[in-house]
Amino acid sequence: MLHYDNTHVDKMIRRLVLDVLKPHNPDKIELSKKLSGLKGVDGVNIITIEIDKDVENVKIIMEGPDIHFNTIKKIIEDFGGAIHSIDGVAAGKKLIEDVRTPQDVSTTFLR
Amino acid sequence: MSEFLKKIKIYFELSKVAPISRRYFVMNGFDGAMIILGIVIGAYLAGTSNPIWIITTGLGASVAMGLSGFYGAYATEEAERIRTLNNLEKSMLKKLDKSIIGRAGKFATVWVALIDGLSPFFIAIISLIPFIFSILGFIPVVHAIYFSMGITLFILFLLGIFLGKISKKNIIISGIKMLLVGLILTLISFVFKLVA
Repeated sequence: MLHYDNTHVDKMIRRLVLDVLKPHNPDKIELSKKLSGLKGVDGVNIITIEIDKDVENVKIIMEGPDIHFNTIKKIIEDFGGAIHSIDGVAAGKKLIEDVRTPQDVSTTFLR
Repeated sequence: MSEFLKKIKIYFELSKVAPISRRYFVMNGFDGAMIILGIVIGAYLAGTSNPIWIITTGLGASVAMGLSGFYGAYATEEAERIRTLNNLEKSMLKKLDKSIIGRAGKFATVWVALIDGLSPFFIAIISLIPFIFSILGFIPVVHAIYFSMGITLFILFLLGIFLGKISKKNIIISGIKMLLVGLILTLISFVFKLVA
């Protein structure tokens, strides 16, 4: 592990976007209740991306002052789910939003 | 304690065990009541005057029913739950036996087995209570037989009412239907006695 001199910021995850595959039961309501009740989590948003016979693919978005990834992972796994990928993380003292750059604009234009 | 109850509630919801256990309760409770009714009527028609004999036979039958109910339900429910979990594991591509789904399945298996084993056992024990009074010398054995038959027929009626409540139909008619089955058993037993 590398150590830098200016790493005295809080190592806190403030936003987490996960791509999760989970069984239909326990449902999204139960999962959202469980996740939003955690310390350090302010809010949870679970959106269905795809539905299959027994399972569903969902996007879980969480925001809060101190999100503990390992706890979240444990809960999702206990609910029978599997994290496919971490699609977005925002960490630090402040929540940084995505910014549009000239490159993005030109790419949009080309499309 | 509330944490424990919350967990049980989640297991109940997840495993959808409530309707299954209701079905098992009525089905096996009915079995238990009918068997005890058969034993008591049989003892009456055979002219036995020994309450210990009736209690021993009744207890033997109720323990047998309880054990067979417990193990029968445990084995079948476990097989069904494992099958369902296996199908889900195939879809999820991972083991789920340690997840809340697996634990809820195990809970449901034990719960259903307990309901299936205890319902005939307790109904049988309740029906046999008059004979304990008879052994203690409070009532003669013939009265104990009448009381026991009455209690058992009343339990059948209550089971019918319970079914009526579930189906939200007329509970009295539902109760009478169950009671009729008990009365048919009584009638058949008396016909056997006449033929013999």
